[in-house]
Amino acid sequence: MKETEIINRLQQGDEQAFKQLVGNYQELVVTTCFGLVHNMEDAEDIAQDVFIEVFRSVDKFRADSKLSTWLYRISVNRSLNFIRDNKRRKWFWSFEDAAENKNNPLEKRTHGASENPEYEFENNQRTQFLHQAIDSLPKNQRIAFTLNKYEDLNYNEISEIMDLSKSSVESLIHRAKINLQKKLYACYKKKCI
Amino acid sequence: MKCNSIHKNLIFYLDGELPPQEMEDIKNHLSECKECVAFAEELQKTQAILAAEKSVEPNPFFYTRLKAKMEAEETVDSAPRWQQAWVKVLQPALFSFLLVAGVYFGSKIGKPEPINVAVANFADEQVIPYLNEMDTEPIEAFLME
Repeated sequence: MKETEIINRLQQGDEQAFKQLVGNYQELVVTTCFGLVHNMEDAEDIAQDVFIEVFRSVDKFRADSKLSTWLYRISVNRSLNFIRDNKRRKWFWSFEDAAENKNNPLEKRTHGASENPEYEFENNQRTQFLHQAIDSLPKNQRIAFTLNKYEDLNYNEISEIMDLSKSSVESLIHRAKINLQKKLYACYKKKCI
Repeated sequence: MKCNSIHKNLIFYLDGELPPQEMEDIKNHLSECKECVAFAEELQKTQAILAAEKSVEPNPFFYTRLKAKMEAEETVDSAPRWQQAWVKVLQPALFSFLLVAGVYFGSKIGKPEPINVAVANFADEQVIPYLNEMDTEPIEAFLME
């Protein structure tokens, strides 16, 4: 089923078309959300809300832009709202995560990696540090970097999603990389991993 | 080439985003400098994490959960307004009222009655001798029996 056909059928309330849409774009939406919130359960929750919003507001979708662009925008907005709303609860989360090791996506995905606990421990620390470094970036740098690194989107695609010029996106990603490199170098010097 | 300028550009070198001449210069430097190689390896390991996180395994139950969530939200949305108001406002208000009332009456019931000292002294004198078995039957008499 083509994108336009999916949209047309969705606008008529076709459930099969919705199922197809979810199947086609589930990975895109979940990965985008995950890149910003760094937790798979939260990313899937947000992704569900994204698809519900798409289903309810598909009539507002303008055919002149790509469906994926629209999905990326909703995913980014929803993820940022989620981060904003949960900032207050972060303090409690830190205890919960420490107890459950919940905020550890790599461990969940590499079930057989426990053969080398030392490597796993180091990898977990590295992952946490990377997430903290990405989270500390200014909002636009974080969005541009995440879309570039997690979704392999080029500057043109990112500029369309963020509604910015290509050169602005280029500059955002460049600064994001410099900032990340600085943080990683500081960590390397302090031997924090 | 100095290590400082290498550290500034290493992330772009690893992404292959530098002009050919700079790429070559950094490559040559890395072949000689152990310190820069060690940092480059650190950066590579960190980049490998990003690459690993990209490969999300699709959750096979995602659509089922999504439909369940949609149905749950529709049930809430389709409920009459008074019911939504009941759930959102009146129910918490009622529970808060019951909680406050419970605390108030609890404190009322648990509050000790003021003791009349004169009556209390009289009661001590009258009652304690009869309750104290040691007065009527000393321990020696009890053991003798």
